[in-house]
Amino acid sequence: MTAPGPRALIGVDTGGTFTDTVVTLSDGRLGVGKALSTPGRVEQGVLDSIGQAAAGLGLTLPELLRRTVILTHGTTVGLNALLTGAGARVGLLTTAGFESTLPIAKANKTNGLDELDLTMPTRWRKPEPLVVRPDIAGVSERIDATGAVVRPLDEAQARTAIRRLAARGVEAVAVCLLWSPVNPAHERRVAELVAQEMPGVRVSCSADIAPVVGEYERSSTVALDAYVAPVVGAYLRALQERLREHGFGGVLMILRTGGGAEPVEQTLRAPVNTLRSGPVAGLAATAGLAAKLGHDNVIATDVGGTSFDVGLVIGGEMQRASTPMVHRHALAIPVIEVESIGTGGGSLAWIDHGLGALRVGPRSAGSDPGPVCYGRAGTRPTLTDASAVLGYLSRLGNAVELDVEAAREAIRTQIAEPLGIGTIAAAEGIVRIATDQMRDLIRRATIRRGHDPSAFALVAFGGAGPQYASWYADGLGALDVVIPDLAAELSAYGAVSSDLSIGAERGIVPTPVDEAGAVVTAVLGELAEQIEAGLPGAVDDVATASGRSRTLRRSVALRFYRQQRRIELPVGAVVDAAELARLGAEFRERYEQIVGVGTASRDTPVEVVSVRVEVTVAVPVPPPVARERGAAEPVDERLAWFDGVEHRCAVYDWRRLRADHEIKGPAFIESEQTTVVLPPRRRARMDTSGHLHLG
Amino acid sequence: MIDEIIFEVLRHRLDAINDDAASVLARLSGSHLAAEARDLNTVIMAPDGRVVCCGRYVLAQVVSMHLVVRDILDNYPDNPGIEPGDQFVTNDPYIGTLHQPDVVVVAPIFVAGRIVGWCGSTAHQPDVGGPNPGGITYDARSIFDEAQPMPPLRIVEGGRLRRDIEREYLIRSRTAELNRLDLHGQIVANRGVVDQVTRLCDQYGADTLAAVMDRLLERTEALLRERLRALPDGRWRHVSHVEYRPHGSADEEPEAVYAVRLTMTKRGDDLELDFTGSDPQAPGTINAAYPALANFAVGGVLIYLCGGLPWVPGGVWPVVRILSREGTVVHARWPAGVAMSTAATCQAIRVSINSCLARMLEASQDLSHLVMASCQAAGGGGGTVHGTRGDGTAYATMTLDEISGGGGATWADDGADSSGYTTSPGASCANVEVNEAYLPLLYERRAELADTGGPGRRRGGVGSMHALTPHGTTTPMTMMSFGQGLQHPLATGVCGGEYGRQSVVAVMPSAELATLGDPEGGGARRLPMPAATMRVGPGDVLVSVSQGGGGLGDPLERAPSEVLDDVLDGLVSLAGARRDYGVVIVGGGPDSPEPRPDSPDPRPDEETRVDEEATARLRAERRRARIGRSPLPPVPPAAGERRGRRLSAALDLLVPAEGTPDREGTVTCARCATVLCGAHENVHEHLVVEEASPADRSPLGAVYPGVERFVLRHFYCPGCAAQVDVQVCRAGDPILAAIEVL
Repeated sequence: MTAPGPRALIGVDTGGTFTDTVVTLSDGRLGVGKALSTPGRVEQGVLDSIGQAAAGLGLTLPELLRRTVILTHGTTVGLNALLTGAGARVGLLTTAGFESTLPIAKANKTNGLDELDLTMPTRWRKPEPLVVRPDIAGVSERIDATGAVVRPLDEAQARTAIRRLAARGVEAVAVCLLWSPVNPAHERRVAELVAQEMPGVRVSCSADIAPVVGEYERSSTVALDAYVAPVVGAYLRALQERLREHGFGGVLMILRTGGGAEPVEQTLRAPVNTLRSGPVAGLAATAGLAAKLGHDNVIATDVGGTSFDVGLVIGGEMQRASTPMVHRHALAIPVIEVESIGTGGGSLAWIDHGLGALRVGPRSAGSDPGPVCYGRAGTRPTLTDASAVLGYLSRLGNAVELDVEAAREAIRTQIAEPLGIGTIAAAEGIVRIATDQMRDLIRRATIRRGHDPSAFALVAFGGAGPQYASWYADGLGALDVVIPDLAAELSAYGAVSSDLSIGAERGIVPTPVDEAGAVVTAVLGELAEQIEAGLPGAVDDVATASGRSRTLRRSVALRFYRQQRRIELPVGAVVDAAELARLGAEFRERYEQIVGVGTASRDTPVEVVSVRVEVTVAVPVPPPVARERGAAEPVDERLAWFDGVEHRCAVYDWRRLRADHEIKGPAFIESEQTTVVLPPRRRARMDTSGHLHLG
Repeated sequence: MIDEIIFEVLRHRLDAINDDAASVLARLSGSHLAAEARDLNTVIMAPDGRVVCCGRYVLAQVVSMHLVVRDILDNYPDNPGIEPGDQFVTNDPYIGTLHQPDVVVVAPIFVAGRIVGWCGSTAHQPDVGGPNPGGITYDARSIFDEAQPMPPLRIVEGGRLRRDIEREYLIRSRTAELNRLDLHGQIVANRGVVDQVTRLCDQYGADTLAAVMDRLLERTEALLRERLRALPDGRWRHVSHVEYRPHGSADEEPEAVYAVRLTMTKRGDDLELDFTGSDPQAPGTINAAYPALANFAVGGVLIYLCGGLPWVPGGVWPVVRILSREGTVVHARWPAGVAMSTAATCQAIRVSINSCLARMLEASQDLSHLVMASCQAAGGGGGTVHGTRGDGTAYATMTLDEISGGGGATWADDGADSSGYTTSPGASCANVEVNEAYLPLLYERRAELADTGGPGRRRGGVGSMHALTPHGTTTPMTMMSFGQGLQHPLATGVCGGEYGRQSVVAVMPSAELATLGDPEGGGARRLPMPAATMRVGPGDVLVSVSQGGGGLGDPLERAPSEVLDDVLDGLVSLAGARRDYGVVIVGGGPDSPEPRPDSPDPRPDEETRVDEEATARLRAERRRARIGRSPLPPVPPAAGERRGRRLSAALDLLVPAEGTPDREGTVTCARCATVLCGAHENVHEHLVVEEASPADRSPLGAVYPGVERFVLRHFYCPGCAAQVDVQVCRAGDPILAAIEVL
C-alpha cells in the first residue's frame, strides 16, 4: 500500500562517481538527487541519493519511499566486479571434447583494443580468461544440429566432473553444452546434477540465459553471468532489504542491457543482463524524449570523463548490436548498441612527433589523477584542461574550484611551446581534435548503417555533452540539436521512464523463410508459455500502478543466407504461408531501406535465425510542469576564448531560463551539474518542457 | 603546409572513413569468409595508388594495391577511360591480387575533374570457378587448369553497375549468390568512401587532402628510416620450405620441396629483401606471382618491424627493396598456377621475413621488445571441403578450422594460444555450431593441443586440433587440403627458441580418435601425405592440427613455475615438461603422479608441484649432453651491460682496441664470454650443432613420408651450452650464414 498524496516513480542510476536519482510525482513535480557513489556498500549511495531527491520535494526518505509505486534502478555492480576482477571463481561444464571453446575464443586477439595497440602486434592478446582452464570440465554427451541425441548424457561421468570442480573450490557454475538452444534436455539435467552435488551454488545455464546458436558467445555469456551473479545477487538483495526497511512497498525494477527494465526477481535469474545497462538508460530517455518532440530518428550522445558514447534511435526504436562485447568478452544476449571511443574530458593531449600531429586520447587521465585543473596529482594536459584554459568551465560539479593556472601551464609547456603556437591556439586545437573525433564517431555510427546523419535529431547529455555539443554537432546537418532537461541525470531519468519488459529469445538452426512456419510457430508457442509461467507477480503490480495492461510481442530475426546483418520483424502467433511470404517481402523492403535500393537480391535466400517473445507494460511518466515563457537575464558574465578572440560572455542560470527566449552566443548556460557552452554564431532556445535547442 | 591540428583532424577522418568501408562490406557480405574470418580489407590510396589508409583485417590483401591502380592508370586512360563514378573489378594475381579467390574492386575519387585519390577493397570469395570447388586446384599444371583470372574490368560506369560484366563475373562461380552480395558490398563501400572523401575536399580543399596524404607517406617513410638507422647494419638469412606434390600424383612422381631463400641486408636506412636464391617455380598452384610477394613482403615488414609506427603501407614501399627472379617459386612466370599461393609460398615468404627481421631487431637492446616469433602458417584444417547434404543440395566452402594455431612468443609474453595468424589480426575461426548448421558434419573434438607451442624461455602459443565426421548425409565429404608444414615445422622460433610444432591433416576411422591427442601414448603414427583430394566417408574422421607458434629463448631457462602452470592448464604435458623444458613435475593426487591415458581426467590436480632438485639435475644433464662435457658457468658482465656490441640476444661482437693485430674483432657468447670466431666468419659453424628429426616431436605422433628429408638443427654455445639458435633445414644442407656482420 502506498501512502496518501501524489504517487511517485523513482529512477536511480549508479555511476562511477555519482549516484543520480530522478523522482516524478503524479502531480507533475520532479525531484533530483545526486550523491557520491559508495563503492563497497553501493546501496548506501542509492539511499543517500533518493534521500536528497526527497528533501528537494520537501519529503523525508520514508515519506517518499512509502508513496513510491515503482523504483527502477540501473546498476554497475556487476560491471565493476568484471572490471576489477572481483567476480566469483567460476567452473564451466561443457560438452566433452570442447573444453577449449572458451580459451580459443574464436582466435580473437584484437577485438576491443585501442588504436595504439592495434599497430603493436606484440600486444595482440586475448582478454584475461573468465574461467581458468583447469576449472573447465567436459561432460560426456552430444546433441546434433537437429536436436537429436548423438551420445546420451553419462550422468555418472558428469557427477565426477562436477565433484572435481567442487573440490577445486569453484563458487559458481556455468553450463554450456553444444546445441542446447535446440535441445536443452542435457543442459537442464546437468544443472540438476550440479544442484544436487553443490547445493546452494549458483548455476547459470546457457539454454536459459542465452539460447542462441554459437557456442563460443554462449559460453562467454554464461561464464560472465556466473562470474557476476553472486556479487549482483548479494547487492540487489541488500538493496531490497534496505529499501523495505525505509518503507518501500512498491516494485523494484532493474534496467537491462537489452533495453527496458524488469522486476528484480527476473534480474536475479540472469544478472548478466545488467552488465551494459549504463549507457542504455540515457539512450532510452532520449528515445522517449524524441517521441515527445516528434522526432523518429535520434542520435544520442554522451560525453563522460573517459569516453564518448553514441546510440541511435531509428523509427522510435533503439538498435540492437550484432556482435556485442563487454570488456572484450562476447555477449549473446540482446544488447542495445552504443558505440564508444575513448575520448572524454580526461583524454590526454599529446604530440605525436613522428607524424607531426597533435593528438587527443585514446589514453586518459581518468578520474585519478584526473585533469591537471582538478588539482589532484594530474600533470598531463587533458581535454577538460583545455576547456578550463579557454574559460568554458568555472567550477567542477557543485563546489570544487579549478586550478586554471596549472592547466594553462601544462598546455603551454607540453603542447603550445613544442608546437611553436600560443597556449590559446593549443587549447582550441585540443578541443577541435577531440570534438572532431566525436563527430567522426557520430558519422560512422550512422553512415555505416546506411543512414545520413542529416535525417536525425541529435541529443547531447552526460556531464560534459552540453559543453561540447556545439562543436561536434556542427556540420552534421542534424534536424535539431537538443540538450534535455536533466542532461546530467539523464540516465536516472531513463530509468524512471523505462517500460517493463521481459523477453525470451531462442536461436534456431538457420532455416529458409519459406520453410520456417512450423518451427517458428512451435517456438513462439513454447516461449510464450515459458514466459507466462515464469512471470513474477510484480508484473501485474506494475500494470496496476501504471494503469496499462501488459502486451505480448512476437518477433523473428531474419537475414540473408549467412549474412551478419539481421533485421527483426513482428509476427503473429501463427506463422502460415501468407505470413512467411509477408515476412520475406518485408525483410527485402527493410533491407533496401537500410542498405540501398537494388541490394536485396531476389536470388539470395532469406533465413530465420531467431524467435523472440516479449511481455511489456508501459510505464507512463507524468508530464512535467510547463515552463513559463519570457525573457531571460544573465546572472553573471565571464571571459572566454573562441577562434583566437577573447569574448565577454553572458552566463545564464538553466533553472531560471524561461521558454522561447533566444540566447545568442557567445554565452554559457549553467546548471548545478553542467555547463552549456554556446560559441559565437550559435543560438539557444528553451522549450516549455525545459529542453534546450541549439541553432 | 598544414598545421598539426588540421592534419590530425583529417588523418582521423580518413581512417574512420576507411574503417567504415570495411564494416559496410563485412555486414553486407553473405559469406562467412567475411563475417567470421574477416577475409577482407579496405584501403584509401593516393592519386598514384600508394596506400595511405589500410584496414586492420588481412594486411597482405591490400598493402600493395597500388599495383592494381597502376595497371589501370597505365592501360585504361583512353580506353575504356577512367571517369568519375567508375569502379574496376579484378582477381588477376599477375596484376595485383594474391590469388584468384581474392576479388579487388577499386574506384577513383574525382574532384573538379582531377583524380585526388582511390579507394578499394579485397574480399575472399568462396568460389570463383575453375575445376575444383573453392577456387583452388591442387593438381593444376598451369593457371589454365585453375580459375581464369579477370584483368581489371570497368564494372561500374558513371555510377551504374554494368549488368553484362556482372553476369560475366558471376557465371564463373559455383556460389554466385554469395559473390553477388560481396560484389555489391564492395561497390557500396567504395561509393561511400568516394562520397565522404569528396565532401571532405569540399570542406577543406583537395590541396589540403593531398597535403595530408603526402605527409602520411613522407612521415611514415622518415620514421621507418629513423628506426632502421637506430639498428646495426647487417645481413641475415632464412630458408623456409614449401611441401608440394606436383600434379597431386600419388606414386609416379616424387614429392617435391621448394625452398624460399631470403637474404636480408640492412645498410643505413635501407632494407633489401633478396629472394633471388629461391627455387625455380613449381609446375602449379603453390607459386606466388610478384604481387603476392610484394604484398606479403610489405605486410610482413609492417607487422614485424613497424610496431608503434603509423601503418601507412605506401610509406613503407620506398624503404624496402624487393629483389626476385622471374620464374622462381616466389615470382612465377605466366602461366604458372598460383591459386594456392597464400597458403603455401606466401607463408614461407612471411616466415622468412619474420625470422630475418627478428634477427635484426634482437641486435638492438632498445628495439628487442619488438621481436616476435612466428605464428602458425597454413594449418592442417586449411582447405576446401565439398560434397552433398542429406537433402541433395551441394556445398563447397572452408571450415576455417585452420585459424586456431598459436602466436609467436615475445620477450614480454608467451605467444597467444590458439590465436590464428598474426598477419590477419581480425580473423576468427567459426563456431562448431555454425559449421554444423550449414554443413552435413559433426565435430568430435576441438581442443587446444598440449606441447604444440614452440618451447622457449617464452613459450609459443599452442595450436589446436579439430576432428569432424560426415553427419546427416550418406555421401562422403571431399577435402582438398592446403595445410603446410606437415613434414617439418614452419613457425620459426627466435633468439634460441624452438619452432612451433608441425601441422597435421589425416583421415582415419572414427575408432582411432580415442587414442589420439594423448601425448603419452600412441607413439609414431605413419600417415600418407594428403592426396589432391581426400575422401572422408561415413565412419571416418577428418583430423587436423594447426601449428603452434614459435618460442623465444632457451627452453632450459624457462622458470619451472611457468612450466608447472602450463601443465596445470593442459598446454604442456608432463612428458613435454621433461622433454622440452627439463622440468620434473611430481604429485598429482595420492596414487597417480602421472595421468593415465584412460583416465577421464588427464589433468593433474593442484597437489602437483615442481621437483626443484630433480629439475636442476635434469637441466644440468641436458646442458652437459648438448656439448658433451661439463658446461662453463655463466659469467655475468660488469654492471649488467653487454661485454661488446650486441650481435644477437646470445652473441656479442667484441671489437678490439686500436693497434691490435686482429682488427676485425671476435664473436663471443654473451652468457659465458667464450670466444667463438672472428667477426666475419659464419658463427653458426663455430657452435655445437645437434641434429634431430622433426618427426620426434610432431603432434599426435604424426609421421609423414618425406619427413626424413628435414632436420632440426640446434646450435649451442660450446662453452656454456646455451641454446643460441634453432633452424629447420634439408638434411645435408650447408650451415646457413644466418647472421653476417657488415
